[in-house]
Amino acid sequence: MNHELKVEKQQAGNGVRIEKTFDRFTLGQRWEHLLVLVSVGVLILTGLPQKYRGAEWSQQILSTPERLDSIRQVHHFAAIILLLVGLYHVGHNLYLLLKRSLPADIFPDRDDFRDAWGMIKYLLFFSREKPSYWKYNFEQKFTYWFIFITLAVMGVTGIIIWFPIPVTQLLPGAVIPASKLAHSTEAIVLTVFILIWHVYHVHLERLNLSIFNGRLSETEMRENHALEYERILKENENIPGPQEKEIEAG
Amino acid sequence: MEMFDGLKTRKFKITATAFALLIAGILLLALPVGIAEAEQKKQETEHYCLSCHGDPDLNMELADGETLSLYISPGTMESSVHSQAGIECEACHTEIKSYPHPEIEYRNKRELSRSYYLACRKCHSANYEKTLDSIHADVAEAGDMDSPVCTDCHGAHSVQALDQPRSVVSTTCGSCHEKVFDQYSDSVHGGALMDEDNQDVPLCTNCHGVHNISDPGSPQFHTSSPDLCAGCHADTELMEKYGLSSNVYDLYELSWHGVDVAVYKAMWPTIRHESAVCTDCHGIHNMLSAQDPNSMVHPDNLLNTCQKCHPDAGPNWTSAWTGHHEISFERTPYLFYVEQFYLTFSRLVLWLSIAYVGLQLLRSIVNRARRVSQ
Repeated sequence: MNHELKVEKQQAGNGVRIEKTFDRFTLGQRWEHLLVLVSVGVLILTGLPQKYRGAEWSQQILSTPERLDSIRQVHHFAAIILLLVGLYHVGHNLYLLLKRSLPADIFPDRDDFRDAWGMIKYLLFFSREKPSYWKYNFEQKFTYWFIFITLAVMGVTGIIIWFPIPVTQLLPGAVIPASKLAHSTEAIVLTVFILIWHVYHVHLERLNLSIFNGRLSETEMRENHALEYERILKENENIPGPQEKEIEAG
Repeated sequence: MEMFDGLKTRKFKITATAFALLIAGILLLALPVGIAEAEQKKQETEHYCLSCHGDPDLNMELADGETLSLYISPGTMESSVHSQAGIECEACHTEIKSYPHPEIEYRNKRELSRSYYLACRKCHSANYEKTLDSIHADVAEAGDMDSPVCTDCHGAHSVQALDQPRSVVSTTCGSCHEKVFDQYSDSVHGGALMDEDNQDVPLCTNCHGVHNISDPGSPQFHTSSPDLCAGCHADTELMEKYGLSSNVYDLYELSWHGVDVAVYKAMWPTIRHESAVCTDCHGIHNMLSAQDPNSMVHPDNLLNTCQKCHPDAGPNWTSAWTGHHEISFERTPYLFYVEQFYLTFSRLVLWLSIAYVGLQLLRSIVNRARRVSQ
């Protein structure tokens, strides 16, 4: 979906302020993110003690053989949830793309390389201005695709080590230890990536709650998605909102 | 010592050393004389007792009808370690002080052995205490009077050093544990012991302990058994001698089975687990070289061995097992590529994230500082 302009009245002190907001994520997308967030969180928390079974802290968590079993069951349950969300996500979005009702904003293009170069110049003090972005900047696209590919790898390798016997009816046995190594290493890579990269960009750089409430404010749009902002304003030029004139407090 | 100067200290040391050498010399000279004297003087009682008990026909009937031979072979007796050390008959037979002897009240020979062996305790109390913790003691307590006591393994009047040759230990155990002994004798360990008097291969006691032999069927024994194997198989010098790898144990510990067992070992040693330890795949007493066509882990038999725990495993299954080998391109190409990929990829992701986020953080701090100063 495109960012859609929405105008909301907000009570602020004595006067009424008009605030424009821009829809960024649909309710469905927000639910998907929440499910991914929770299931990946559970998977990491239940996966690490299994990976580090040799370590004492992990053995404290695993306290009884039954606990080890239940941690494994929770891990498998969360994996099923994530798998279903993933399948829905890919299927639904492919359908929308084919129906041409979803703009291909998330796919990387040449602009992203230009923007990344511009950003590096900015970060190294060779340039005063950050690049201007469309709906998703290159950092956000990188986040999406990195996590997308990682979760695909985790899903495939996870299923292989979950069902080793049926898998080896079809594939060579060597895929089992290879998948185990990949699953257990990729998990750490993902955790590190989320903790450093994603947490910084959505919490520390600026608190970006759009994935939870679905919208960005006009200021946020102007500052972080200038190209998209201008495009939307141009699109909406001919349709002035009825409430756009300021209204005095009653 | 601070008061003495260096010279004096050295003189004192020289004098002390000379004195010590002198004493040692006297002792060394005196020692064989002392032993020779002991051999000549002592064992008077022994000779006296053997004047009757040296008769091969001397015997008596016990209450249960068993015939107890009272014959002690003088040759065996004299060559026993106790006789050689000057220990006399009455050291063990404390109740016999004169002739005629007090009446024997034991109903049968076994009862006699099980009571008389307590004499060992007088001198060998530490080892006696250990036997009380052994499975042999547990079995006896449960009512099995055939369970061995000291004399069953060491002999009574014929006590000899048990390790000349080494195989004496294993054959001693084998006199009761016949089936296990047969398997052991055919194994790579037992074979080398019996055929070439190998000094490195384990005897029964190296794995099971000597006097405090524990229950090998217990979960603890199963869980900690890889440590027993590691005692030799993680010893690089020893393994090189036989052209074997000494990091099999370390690699096992990293394996699926090994990690699983590690948790049990650390947390729940008394709970039985299903993960394989060394002996589950290699066999216990019948363990063979992995190259031996009869070995449980020989490529031809490996699937069968896996199927003991993984009954549905198909023919591809065995190649999932990396066989205590380190990751290598030749042996495990899939693993090799995955490892190589992640060696680069993990570091790349980590350092790129840190570098990029670090630069962003720096830039935003500089921006803020500039805004404040303006």
